[in-house]
Amino acid sequence: MAGIDVGGHGGKRNLNHEIPLIPFIDFLLCLVAFLLVTAVWSQMARINADAKVPGPPRPDEPDEIKPEKELHVEMRGDKKFQLVWKEGATVVNTIDVDRKAVNMGTEGDITFPALAEKVTSEWKNNGNHKAPTDKKFDRAVLHTDNSTPFSDVIAVIDAVYAPQRDFTLGAKAQKLPAFNLTFAVN
Amino acid sequence: MSGQKALSRFHQPIQVPGRRLIHHVPLPFVVKKAVGGGQRSVNQEIPLIPFIDFLLCIVLFLLASFSASGELPIDKNVRLPKAENVIDMTEAPMVAITGNQIIVDGTAAGSTRTIEDANRMQRVDELFGILKNKRELWKQVNPGKEFPGVAVLQVDRRVTALVVKSVFQTAAMAGYPSISFMVGRLGKGN
Repeated sequence: MAGIDVGGHGGKRNLNHEIPLIPFIDFLLCLVAFLLVTAVWSQMARINADAKVPGPPRPDEPDEIKPEKELHVEMRGDKKFQLVWKEGATVVNTIDVDRKAVNMGTEGDITFPALAEKVTSEWKNNGNHKAPTDKKFDRAVLHTDNSTPFSDVIAVIDAVYAPQRDFTLGAKAQKLPAFNLTFAVN
Repeated sequence: MSGQKALSRFHQPIQVPGRRLIHHVPLPFVVKKAVGGGQRSVNQEIPLIPFIDFLLCIVLFLLASFSASGELPIDKNVRLPKAENVIDMTEAPMVAITGNQIIVDGTAAGSTRTIEDANRMQRVDELFGILKNKRELWKQVNPGKEFPGVAVLQVDRRVTALVVKSVFQTAAMAGYPSISFMVGRLGKGN
């Protein structure tokens, strides 16, 4: 087994020592068992949504603020989604996308890849906030029926978050969804 | 005579113990092998050092992935949907919405039936009160710091959008404008 040999036998006491490996292995095995028992093998994550709404105008603000373009996602129909770019109340552009759900896994999860593709191309063409140092994000508003199940809502939010952009905050650079999504009240 | 011959079978001298098998084979190399006159020792050292290296690697990996905050508390009645474009979890108040109940960190905070019966978006008063109290408590514990305003919703996949929007709006009114939905991680290749 492992030992320390310092050589020389002139002294009275033997200076060679055996390292006690067996207790060390026992200790390591206990550590492994403890860490395995307390390990968290979670696959949970989150999808962000934003409920920040513009407040009343402050006195120091300029009277006229040019409204930014917003992407409104209508998921009320059974056969198609409608993507509507709006500047304030003005409709700039309307695009229809087929509502083709793709099943994922065996638990009934769905995705809308056609919608994700269209939202990505729309953001590339019309997005306002693309620079990594830009702290603002483009805004998306989701319009949905009251009776829509949450799994469908999440599938649409997932598609809206498909376009990703670089975001630099200080020295930290990361990829984040290009849109900030909120729900339409009605 | 025949009786004496039979007894002689049992009359054997005491001999030195040792190996007997294959001794009478007239091949010297077979006898040498059988007697054990080989040069190699039969004793073997177990290689402990690589074993310890292996254990250390496992310990380091497990320590790197160790989470002191423990497992995320997920209500057993909630079946979460899955999504691809997700971000990592954060520590925040958990609002679980099951088929008929709203729960904040294990405490009941309203019923989904009330919202569905009304068939319109509305503020959930119990939830509003609990979230507001949590916010006040956070501000007292962390004076001078900006309140992050993050809440995490665990919503069952069958819950209707009306309930989700009502809870979303209630949380926003209680001072939690940044809402996250807890989901399972769906691999890009799935």
